Amino acid sequence: MVLDGPVKRRQLLGGVAGTAGLATLTGCGLFGDDPEPAPAPDALQPVLDEALALAAGYDRAAVADPALKVFGDDHRAHAAELAKLIGATLPSAAPSAPAAGNSKAALRKAEQAAQKTATAACKTAPAERAGIVGSIAAARAAHAEALR
Amino acid sequence: MSDAMAAALAAEEAAIYAYGLLGVKLTSDGDLTEARACEAIHRDRRDALVLRLAALKASTAPAPAGYQLPFEVTDRDSALKLAIQVEDGVAQAWRATLPSTEGGDRSTALSALTDAAVRATRWRRRGNVSPVTLPWPGRP
Repeated sequence: MVLDGPVKRRQLLGGVAGTAGLATLTGCGLFGDDPEPAPAPDALQPVLDEALALAAGYDRAAVADPALKVFGDDHRAHAAELAKLIGATLPSAAPSAPAAGNSKAALRKAEQAAQKTATAACKTAPAERAGIVGSIAAARAAHAEALR
Repeated sequence: MSDAMAAALAAEEAAIYAYGLLGVKLTSDGDLTEARACEAIHRDRRDALVLRLAALKASTAPAPAGYQLPFEVTDRDSALKLAIQVEDGVAQAWRATLPSTEGGDRSTALSALTDAAVRATRWRRRGNVSPVTLPWPGRP
């Protein structure tokens, strides 16, 4: 539409004023419909992602070597407590973190990498989280030792 | 902080005592080498803790001359069982220091907890104890 007359300009201005008035009336409501910026992920989210990825890796490896199942159970226990601690819901599907390989060597490497993550998280964790993350770091190191 | 660290010191002292005693019942070279390495590490941790607690001007109880063992060590099986129990106890003592420490002290505590969990796993494997790992090392 081409705005070529005073009436139409006034209408337009009125429309703009009307919109401004609405915005004033509803306060920030007009902008409140915008999606909230996503909250920053919890510092322990990567530790949780790795626990899920390792649990899945051991599940696959346990098909050929059932003795490996207990390690996956440890990681599942870690994931459950971490999820409760940070208020995350555990995914029922495959984890988003890259899945660990199935071979013992690949799992051992994944344990060592995951131990590093947990160790770093423990060093900066607030007092009430230091114990749980510390135990997880130690468990991952022990798993890596057991796979030697 | 220093109460928990004093408890870690007591756990390291107890570990040194236990290794001295259980080593007598070990005969294979592999077991003995492992036990000596463990004892040496516990001595290092003990010495570092003594220095750190002195720097913090924390008071510590003197180590007792002897300890009541949880069970009699009569053979290799009971010696390995004691080694596992000692490392689990050391892991617990160090884990308890994590909430009240920060910086270098927390790093030391975490590395001591991690090492103890790894050594406990090695002893479990030597003793054919299954599973070889605990889900929550250091959790009482």
